[in-house]
Amino acid sequence: MNKKALYVIMIFAVMMTLGKGISYAVTAEENYKFYCTQCHGSTGKGDGINVTKDMAVTPRNHASAEDMSKLSDIDITNAITDGGPANSKSPLMPPFGKTLTADEIKDMVSYLRKLCNCTGGK
Amino acid sequence: MVKRVTCSRVVVVSLLTFAIIGFGAESSRADAAKGKSVFEAKKCGGDCHITQGPATEKTFADQLKKKGPELWYAGNKLKKEWMEKWLQDPAVIRPLEYNSIEKKNPGNHPKLSKTEADEVAEYLMTLTSKDVESGVIQANKNIQGKQAFEKKQACQACHQIEKTGKVIGGLVAPSLVKAGERLQGDWIYAYLKKPKVFKPVKRMPVYEGYLSDVDMKNIAALIASF
Repeated sequence: MNKKALYVIMIFAVMMTLGKGISYAVTAEENYKFYCTQCHGSTGKGDGINVTKDMAVTPRNHASAEDMSKLSDIDITNAITDGGPANSKSPLMPPFGKTLTADEIKDMVSYLRKLCNCTGGK
Repeated sequence: MVKRVTCSRVVVVSLLTFAIIGFGAESSRADAAKGKSVFEAKKCGGDCHITQGPATEKTFADQLKKKGPELWYAGNKLKKEWMEKWLQDPAVIRPLEYNSIEKKNPGNHPKLSKTEADEVAEYLMTLTSKDVESGVIQANKNIQGKQAFEKKQACQACHQIEKTGKVIGGLVAPSLVKAGERLQGDWIYAYLKKPKVFKPVKRMPVYEGYLSDVDMKNIAALIASF
């Protein structure tokens, strides 16, 4: 195989890996900081800047082991992907399924488990 | 004889009309050129406002280094009359500083004189995107749009709106209070439909697949009516 063909295959493989999310490697922490902190707060306590007294529900406290252990990893994946209504919760939590890749969402679930220092319910 | 007089009148009126239209177009072009000079002299470009499309932001850092919204499609997004007023007396649109999720917007956008504002608005109206189709959205306080905006996706989580005479909503995004005075409905629809064309990296989620085309049109019509 010549070098040119090898480069083409490598570029294609990188594009396939990155998928539909942002076009470069981003850690879950970076994604959390950019997308989630506006409502969930910088330490995940559900006290982001968007949380005004008019907000109908308080965002989930990601630092609470008690709250987060009630959710399975699938519940969290569904909420991030399709928004709050996926778990019969508020649409104030929007869907990120077309913003983050499936791999980024998977990484985010692991990151949230670190924030709460807990495992998921069944 | 009568016919000849009438015919001459028609010719004269037509010539005058063409002259006025031609002069108007020429005058607009001149104002746009002056506006571009004002824009450049006041250093409105650079990190503050990008006037060259298409969008090139690829990373969070690319987006976060910008100090103000890109204007390379301002002629589709904003209303000329609104720009003429706002540039003379800039009121806060985003409760928080551009790109910040912590700092309050200091409301320190430079003010322009009336002549400068008119000229800059004329210039900004020349900046357009091929991805915005004109004449699709008419402002309309439609209940379907309200349902999609408030219940299906709860856009008020991030955008301020006026509800029963009171301003409510999140602080991170641009306020949508009286947004119909500022924004063109066709751009709102295009932005919902093809967000990455305008802002490849942004905090607002991509709604393609979560809102139908009809939902997007209804929401655009609703916001245009605010």
